[in-house]
Amino acid sequence: MTQVIAGQRRRYGRLGDLLVRWSFMLPTIVLLMAVLAYPIFYTLEISFSSFDMSIFGAGEWVGWDNYETVLQDYRFWDSLRVTLIYLVIALPLQVALGFGIAFLINAEWGGRGLIRALFIIPMVVAPVVAGGIWRMILDPLWGIMNYFLGLVGLGPFDWFGDPNLAMATIIIIDTWRWTPFIVLIATAALLALPKDVFEAAKIDGANWWAMLWSVALPLLVPIIAATFVIRWLGAVKLFDIVLASTYGGPGKATSVINLFIYEEAFRSFHFAESAAMVMIVLVLTMVLTGLFLRGSRKLEESF
Amino acid sequence: MTAARTAAQRRPVALRKIRGNHVRIVAGVSISLLFLFPIFWMVLTSFKQQVDIFTTPPTLFFTPTLATYVEYLQRADIVRRLLNTVIVAVGAGVLSIIVGAMSGYALARIKLRGAHTFGVLILLSRGVPPIALAVPMFLVARKMGLADKHITLILAYCTFLIPYVMWLMRSFFVSLPRELEESAMIDGCTRYGAFFKIIVPISMPGLLSTLIFSMILAWEELLFALVLTNRYASTIPVAIAGIAGDTVNGANWAALTAVGTITVVPVVIFALLVQKWLIQGLADGATKG
Repeated sequence: MTQVIAGQRRRYGRLGDLLVRWSFMLPTIVLLMAVLAYPIFYTLEISFSSFDMSIFGAGEWVGWDNYETVLQDYRFWDSLRVTLIYLVIALPLQVALGFGIAFLINAEWGGRGLIRALFIIPMVVAPVVAGGIWRMILDPLWGIMNYFLGLVGLGPFDWFGDPNLAMATIIIIDTWRWTPFIVLIATAALLALPKDVFEAAKIDGANWWAMLWSVALPLLVPIIAATFVIRWLGAVKLFDIVLASTYGGPGKATSVINLFIYEEAFRSFHFAESAAMVMIVLVLTMVLTGLFLRGSRKLEESF
Repeated sequence: MTAARTAAQRRPVALRKIRGNHVRIVAGVSISLLFLFPIFWMVLTSFKQQVDIFTTPPTLFFTPTLATYVEYLQRADIVRRLLNTVIVAVGAGVLSIIVGAMSGYALARIKLRGAHTFGVLILLSRGVPPIALAVPMFLVARKMGLADKHITLILAYCTFLIPYVMWLMRSFFVSLPRELEESAMIDGCTRYGAFFKIIVPISMPGLLSTLIFSMILAWEELLFALVLTNRYASTIPVAIAGIAGDTVNGANWAALTAVGTITVVPVVIFALLVQKWLIQGLADGATKG
């Protein structure tokens, strides 16, 4: 390798080689600076300014005013609460379901590959389409879900009219859209488990519970943690499904933070307050993402 | 211990295993059908006439019609939106695969002081909610006269596609043997030569499946399209959000399901074409990312 580097240096000179090496990284850095970092800094500026509609940009400096307004707005807290409820229920549910289904469909038979391929389909349905078709399926009057539930004597349910049911609706749609994704990750993880460890445990007389709890689970913990982090990265972006199904309703019962900020910015034109909310949410999600990444690394090391 | 006894001991275990396997197969198949039902119902509804859609009980048997497809595929706004979605998805996919694969390679193979910090920052950026970017992008685009243009949407999609491609391709390149480009460079290849002539060709399957998945992500995106485009560059998810949220005219389920089917079918075909790589990529993303 040293020989190679020396060869490259001779060709370009020291500086030239450095340039060539960085040129692989530079397009990404430059592009993301322009479209990722710059917008965030611009939002930061607006969050500390009044919004000047005439120039459509940051007006005069107002200090922490926007943050105070936002933090005193009960609707902001409400939408954070709604988002938290969604995350706390949907994430563990989807990870548990995903690994459970993966265990079922990993049974060895000829159709295994086909079943696995079928799980790709819901995963690539556009979230906005998912929201739309579930809105049809769950329609209180004509929807097929209430018809099916009626056959077994349940309902009719007003999926979009009742605040709690509306939240359940969002979680159902989101779970339908995202569980297949976890199933596919989990299937690959289960297939990659070392077979000999299970053979050894079986010879030692372990029952299936012991196999699951003491052998499979410790091996799976790092992957479950990683899956959780990946799913978290997607879940904080929840927007399309809500927009197409409940539109935050009834009232504000399913108005998750992304939808609430969207409404405040693009329907009410409260750009300064929206910018403050964006910064708060940004800090919250970055801190939590960092913690989760770190936690999953730790788990990976300790198991 | 005699051989006969061992066999007798073994049989019940084997039987139980087979029965357990059957239960798992039946459960697995039923669950996957359950997951496919909403899509089946969408496609079915898209071939119904208005009278067959609003029936109690919901009907499985009806005279199919292509009327909704014909009507919507002739509407100028839907056709233009489809075209826009293709342009933006291909543009964003190609741009981010080139840029992202290069930086993924840099992170995997090239010694760069400080590059790792950038890598971690970019990884963290995957936790940035898109609304945090949509607000300032909207303002900047308006100020710079970039609103309602394809390029604006393409650049906006790079914010989530480049980090995705970079980390996926990084783990792909890490798994390649180092000797490949080392021997090429000893033979006098430049770094670019080693990358484009040696690494890229053998990574083609991985690159292609990542490209296809990136295009799918761009194809489905709603928020940026909603905020950054208006008439000219608007995409198909915006149209679907409009149809789904149309409370004035009531639920136009025929339109919703027909346009929904048009949106979903090409994506499903592409995804199934690269399914093997897609699953591999997902698994690598989870375990090595």
